[in-house]
Amino acid sequence: MAREPAAQQRFSGTVAVSLAEHRVDAGFGRERSTGLVLGAGAGLHVSPRLDLAVRAQGGSLDASTPGAVDRDVGEIGLAASMTVGPWLSLQAGLARRVYSTLIARQGWTLAGVGAQAHLTFTGNPVRGLARLWWLPVASVSGLPRPDLAFTAATGLEYRTGAFTLGAVYSLERYDFPAAAAVQRLEQLAALTLRLDVRPGRQ
Amino acid sequence: MKRLALALALLAGGAARASAQGSTTEVLTQAHDFYERLDIERALALLRQIVSPRWPFEVTPEQRVAAYTYLGACLALVGKRDSAVLYFRAALEREPFTDLDPGLFTPAQLELFHRARRLTFAVAARPVASTRIDPRTERVSLTIVTTHAASLRAELRTAAAPSLLTLFDGESEGLREVAWNGLLGDGRLAPPGRYELVVAGRSRLLERTDSARVYFDVRHEVRPLEDTLPDLTDRELLPEQLPRSAATGELLKGLAVAASALVIADRLANRELGGGLPAGAGIVASTATVAGTAAFLRRRHHRDMPENVAENARRRAERAAANVAIQRRNAEKVAATVLLILPAAGVGP
Repeated sequence: MAREPAAQQRFSGTVAVSLAEHRVDAGFGRERSTGLVLGAGAGLHVSPRLDLAVRAQGGSLDASTPGAVDRDVGEIGLAASMTVGPWLSLQAGLARRVYSTLIARQGWTLAGVGAQAHLTFTGNPVRGLARLWWLPVASVSGLPRPDLAFTAATGLEYRTGAFTLGAVYSLERYDFPAAAAVQRLEQLAALTLRLDVRPGRQ
Repeated sequence: MKRLALALALLAGGAARASAQGSTTEVLTQAHDFYERLDIERALALLRQIVSPRWPFEVTPEQRVAAYTYLGACLALVGKRDSAVLYFRAALEREPFTDLDPGLFTPAQLELFHRARRLTFAVAARPVASTRIDPRTERVSLTIVTTHAASLRAELRTAAAPSLLTLFDGESEGLREVAWNGLLGDGRLAPPGRYELVVAGRSRLLERTDSARVYFDVRHEVRPLEDTLPDLTDRELLPEQLPRSAATGELLKGLAVAASALVIADRLANRELGGGLPAGAGIVASTATVAGTAAFLRRRHHRDMPENVAENARRRAERAAANVAIQRRNAEKVAATVLLILPAAGVGP
C-alpha cells in the first residue's frame, strides 16, 4: 500500500475539447469547416525524463463556406516526450486520422518529431509553452505526400495540485505538390482547452 | 614523612651515579656505620668533616641535612644537648621535611629533635611528582609541612593570576596532604600552563614567618575535538529574492507566448487559406498577455521566493543541528579531559 502514491503518479489522464477549424483549397476555392472536437488520453510517466501518451479525439466539423461539406474527424495517436533540460523536451509521435464526409472517407497517417519549450513564470503555477513539430511522414489516401507538413502550437498551462489546465492554440499546415497546375493546401487550426490529471501529484 | 634512615639508603644508592659525591657518600655511610656501632666519637669526626667548609668534595643538600641530623643524634647520645639541638635546627632549616623515626632513635634524641622543631620555624612544599589524573574521579596530592604549629596558607598561582586558588588556609603542624581536584575556584578545569604552589606560614610559637614554593606544569590530555561547520556561504544558499529584472522577465514571457500565437496564426498559417482560426490565436495571445502582466505586477511588489527561503531555513537548521551535535560531542570530550601534572622549575618555561 505504501507504494500506491508513487504508482499513481506514474499515470495521468487527459480530457480535451477543441474548437477546430479546417481549411482546404483543392482548386475549387477555399473551403472552411469548424466544429468541436472532444478528446481523451492517458499518459505514462516512465521515468523522470520520459513520458508516453496515447490519445483519441473526434468531432464534427460543420461547413461554414459555400462549397464546403460537413465532415467528421477522428484520430488516435501515440507520442513520447523526453525531457532534455529544465525548459525543453524532445518529442515524437504517430497518429492516424480519418476525415469522413457523405461522399468520401480520407485516411491520414502522420509521424513527426519536434520540440516543446516551457516558459515557467517564476513562483507561479502558470507556464507558457511553444511546440513545433516537423512531420516527415504525412501519408494521405489518394494524395501525394505534402511538400510541407508541420504543426506549431503555443499556449498556457495552469497547474494546481494534481490538475493541469491548459489553453493551447495549434496549427497544422500541409502544402501538397501541385498537380495539373493545381496545388492542394490544407490546414487544421484549433483552440484546445485541456485538463490533465495526475493522481497523487501535489 | 621522610625518614632519615631511608634518606641515607637513598643517598648511598645514588652515590654510584655521582662520582663527585662519591667520597661524601662513603664517609657518610662510614659515619652511619660508626653511629650504629655506637662508636660516636669516630662518627662525629667524620660528620664534622662533611659539614666543614674545608671538606673538598661536593655535598648535596640531602647529604648535608643527613650529616647535620646525625651530628645532632650523636651529640644527643653523648649528652651535648644544646649542640644536638643546634645541629637538628640546622637540618630543619635546610629541610623542614626532616624527621626522626621513633623506631630508630632514642626518646632523648626525639625529645631534642622536637625541641629543635619548636625553636625553628620553616615551611616547605614537596616537589610535585609527575602524575596523571582524571579530575572527575581523582585528586592530585600536594604535600606541605611546617616545623611546628603555625597559621598556614597554601595557594596556587600563575604568572597571570597572583592568587588563583586557595588550597588550604588554617592551623597546621607537621605534614599535611592537600588534595587538589584540578579545578579552579570558579569550577573550571585548570587551564594548561605553569603553576606555582606557594606555602606561607606564621609561627604560633615564634614571631616568625616563612614561605616556600614549588612549581609544576599542568597539561591537558583531551581527545581531538571536531571543528564546527562554517556558516553557509552564498554559494550554498538559494537566492531568497528575485532580481529586479525578474518582473520584466515575467512580462516578456507572457508577451513571448502571445507573440508566438500571433506569429503562428499570421505567419506560419497559409495565407492563401486566409490564416487559421485567428480568434483562437487571439484568445491565447490575450490570455498570455494578461498572465505576463499579472506576473509582472506581482513580481514588482513581491520579490520574495518563499520556497527558497524555506529551503535556506531548512539548510541553516540542519547546519545548526549538526553544530549542536558537534559541540555536544566536544563538550563530552572536554569533560573527559585528563590532567598531566609535571614538576617544573621557575615561573615560566
